[in-house]
Formats: sequence, structure tokens, C-alpha cells
Amino acid sequence: MSEDVKNQTGGDDTIAPPASRRRLIPFNVALVLPAQLTVMAVVVVPTLIVLWLALTDWQPTQGVPWWQADMIWFWNFVDLWYDERFTNAVWRTLFVVAVCIVIELALALGLALLFVEEWWWKRVAVSIIILPMMIIPVDAANAFFMLFNDLGPINHLISIVTGEPFQFSWLSHPTGAMVPIMLCEIWQWTPLMFLMVLTGLMSLPQNQVRAAIALGASPARIFRRIMLPLLSPVIGIAVLIRSIETFKIFDPVYILTRGQPGGATETISMYMYNGAFVYFRMGYIAAAALIVLVLVVSICLAMSRSLKRYS
Amino acid sequence: MDRSFMTTALKRCAVILAMLFAFFPIYWLFATSLKPFEEWAAWPPVWLTDNPTLQNYRIVFFPEAARAYAADQAGSLDYKVSGSAWKAFQDSAIISTCATVLSVTFGTLAAYSIVRYRTGGENYPFQFLTVRMMPPIAVVVPIVALFSVLRLSDTYIGLILAYTAFTLPFSIWMIRSFIEETPAELEGAAMVHGMTQLEAFTRITLPLAKGGILATALFIFILNWSEFLFALVLTSGNVTTVTLQVANYVSASSGKLYGVQAAMGAISTLPVIFFGYIIQKHLVRGLTFGAVKQ
Repeated sequence: MSEDVKNQTGGDDTIAPPASRRRLIPFNVALVLPAQLTVMAVVVVPTLIVLWLALTDWQPTQGVPWWQADMIWFWNFVDLWYDERFTNAVWRTLFVVAVCIVIELALALGLALLFVEEWWWKRVAVSIIILPMMIIPVDAANAFFMLFNDLGPINHLISIVTGEPFQFSWLSHPTGAMVPIMLCEIWQWTPLMFLMVLTGLMSLPQNQVRAAIALGASPARIFRRIMLPLLSPVIGIAVLIRSIETFKIFDPVYILTRGQPGGATETISMYMYNGAFVYFRMGYIAAAALIVLVLVVSICLAMSRSLKRYS
Repeated sequence: MDRSFMTTALKRCAVILAMLFAFFPIYWLFATSLKPFEEWAAWPPVWLTDNPTLQNYRIVFFPEAARAYAADQAGSLDYKVSGSAWKAFQDSAIISTCATVLSVTFGTLAAYSIVRYRTGGENYPFQFLTVRMMPPIAVVVPIVALFSVLRLSDTYIGLILAYTAFTLPFSIWMIRSFIEETPAELEGAAMVHGMTQLEAFTRITLPLAKGGILATALFIFILNWSEFLFALVLTSGNVTTVTLQVANYVSASSGKLYGVQAAMGAISTLPVIFFGYIIQKHLVRGLTFGAVKQ
């Protein structure tokens, strides 16, 4: 390459940039190449494979490699449409996202307001409160598994408070099991929400707040009319990021119930895991994956549009 | 006692309550890991054991002890748990470290190019975020298919590749926010004095962004160490991680091995807590892709 360039430019004594400055690939493109190729390998290639698998009835237990699986065209999608377990999982996931995000945001806002002023053990308090988001999600679920066991401290606490013996099998109750799952998620990720909101609160311009206080506005009014609008970009980002992450919820469900009993606690991720790796219906689950991908991308686009309008 | 004192006292009480809520499950995990066998599933539950023991940790790391112990007292042990946790720690360390190095290297190169050369235009960095937007379970099925062809399932390389790709958005966006804070003028001056583009990058900007890149590396390591879904799906016994080991104890115990399960949970999460506090002030930046800075 460098020889060619030299010949074309007529040697070293021209005004053209030296051969070493001319590359097959520009410097900046070469820098993004490794990252770009890795992303292509896990996004583009698998998406193409999903497109193929979604049209087949591939089940690895039948002993056929996936590229030779039977084409069944769009029957997977038809089946999914009538598959109540799937549609229930979708609605359940959206429900979990809505409940968790609302509670996390409310708690985070309340907590962050407590942390605006300074006092001597404030740093210690912050360090303890953010402990949940530091630990491995699987271990958080593990802790909640023990807390909510039949013989666990939660049942004991309820017995003490109500004064009657209380033994509820949280983890094997169809609707009751959603409580520890959602509590685990809320417990672990409220601290992140709290830190984000607190960061936003601390960087608010204080002039407007001081002016409002001087004019005699009530704290509630200051919060609603001044702080909340100024905080809305941070809150928007927090809600967007947490919604995306909560939508993927898998670890606590797997550890606490695995979607049992009878799929009553399955979220989308859990449903797809069970379908693909318990029942081995790979083609069917690939079709579900395709639907979920389209769903997620369109929701994200819509949300980031509205976020852009905000800021 | 005026009103402002009362409100302050109330506020501090609320803070203490929040601290209790945050700390209690972790306390329970560590407390249970120190309980002797009889107290694992006693009623009423033992809130603070009087005879702490390290027996549970011994079972975690020495499966022979576990098997004898299980046969002796706790009923049958699931076959999956017969492996020592050493193997899980070792595999997790290898995979997390390699994937972190790859992810941060690729991320630094790409982030630098994006910041200094505006490579690919304004919307280019967003395409990396799509990796983080889609649920991993949706790509896991085709990745399993792909890995079976490439013979990568149940290997270190397979998991390292998957982890690298799925932490890349974090490293690119986080390092990007750090590099944006370094002055571009210095590089211009250096290049005027005859440095090449590469030298300007490695000798001017890289040392300036070193701290941020290190924080990113720790952050990515935490993510890799905590990852569960890929480990669960892409391995089948040959390679194992700490999260898998925890899950195995949970599913194997179903109420019989609380103490051991808690011990494994406690010890696997300690390194992550430690790293987490080291980079505490960068955590928010990391988890929000550099959008919110502390």
C-alpha cells in the first residue's frame, strides 16, 4: 500500500501528505471498527437467524440442525396470538414495569427531598441506602427467597404485628408470588432512582427556590411549580432507563418462582426461557422474540421522542 | 422544642427507616450464612444466632464436606451442587476479567473516535444503545443456534464474547462522557509539534482520561460478575459462574439448605460491593450511560 502511494505521488518530495498519513481505512473509522464488529456479531447476525427461526418449527430435541428445520411460515405467529400464556406474560410484564417504576419514582423523590440539606452522617446514610443496587441481582433475589419463605422473617413479622399466627406460602401462590418479585426489583433499584433524582436536585439553580421562599410560597408549591419542572429531564431519563431494564426482568423471577405455579408469575423473559430451554420450542420462541423486539424498539422510539421534546 | 426541630427529627427518622429497609435483606443474607443447621428453617425464625458457625462456608468450598453433611443431616443434595464454589469463582474471574478488558479497550477506541472525530455523525452512538434496549432473552435463542455451529457453547470464549458485546454500550457511553471532559486543544498542539494521530491519542488524551477509564473498567467488571442469563443459557456444566452456583443452591435446596445458599450468596456478592463503593461516585454515570453525572 505505502509503496503504491509513493509511486503515485512521485516520492517523498511532493506536497501530498506522506504515505504514513494515508491509510486504507481512516484512523477514526479504524478505531470504531472492533466495537462495531462485535455489535454486528451479536445484533445483526442473531437478528437474521431469528428471522429464519421464527418461520420454522425447530426443536433441537428432534435432532435436526436449525438450518434444516421445517418451514411452517407464519403459523408460529398465529399460535402466539392465541397463546394465552404468552399474552398474559406480556401484560404481566407491562404491569410489573408500571407498578415498579411508579413506586420507585415516588420513593426516590421522597427520599431525595430528605437529602437536600446537610448533616453530619449524611454520607453514611447515602452509602447504606445505595447498598441494594451494589449487590448481584441473583443474590438480592436469593435474600428475598429466604425473607419470604414460609418460615421466613416476613411471615414472622406479620404474625407479631397482627398477633395471630400467620403462615402464607408467598412463593407458591399464583398472585401472591408477584409481591416478592416486585418488591425485590423495587428494593434493588429504588436506590439508583434516588441517586439520579438527588443528583438532579443538587444541581438545580437555587435562585428560583430562594426567590419563591422570599415571596412566601409554600414548600409543596415550590416543589410542584419549580423543582418538578426543572427535574423533569432527569426524571425522564430515569424512567426511560428503568423501564427498559425492568421490562427485561428475569433474575428475580427465575430465582423466586421460575414462573410457577403454572406460568402464573411468568414475565416475558421467563416465558421465553421456559419455552426455549424447558420445552425446547426454539422456532416458536424465536417468533415470540421477534414480536418482543418490535415491541421494545417501538416503545423505546416513542419514549425517546417524547424525551427529546422535553429537553 | 420548636417546630423546626420536630420536622428535622422526623426527617432523620424517615432516613433511618429507609436505611433499615435497605439494609435488612442483606443483613438477613449474612446472618443466615452464619447459622448452624438447626436454625436454618426454625419457627419462629432466628433473627440473630447465638452460636455463629462457618460450617456453611466450608460446605460451599469443600463439596466432600457438603456431601457427607448432606447425607448426614440435610437430606439429599442436588447433583449440580456437588462442584466446589472455587471452580465458579475461578471461571467468573477469568470470564469477567477478559470480557472487561475487551469491552473497555474496544469502548475506549470507539469513544475516542466518536468524541474527537465525530465518527458516523450525531446519531451513530445511539446504535450501540440498541444492544442494551433489547431483552437479552430475545437474542439468546439465535446466539445458542449460532454458538452450536461455531462450537462456542459452554466455552470461556463464548461467554467472553457475549459479555463483551453486551457491556460495550456501557463502556462506550461512559468513557465517551469522560473523554468529552478532556480538552481537545492539547491534542491539536501536540499534532502541530509533529505527533501522529495515534500518538496524540495514546500520549495526551489517554493519560488524562485514565481515571475515568479505570472506573469504567470496575463498573463493567461488576456487570460481568453479576450477569446471570447468558451464563445460564450458554453453559452446560463445563463452565460455571458464581451466579449459576447461587441459582443451583437455591433450586437444589428448596428449603433445605438455606445456610449454605446464604453463604454462597454472601461470599459471591462481596467483591462486587467492594468495587461498587470504590466507584460510588461514578455509578450513576455508568448506569445512565453518562447522561446523569454526579
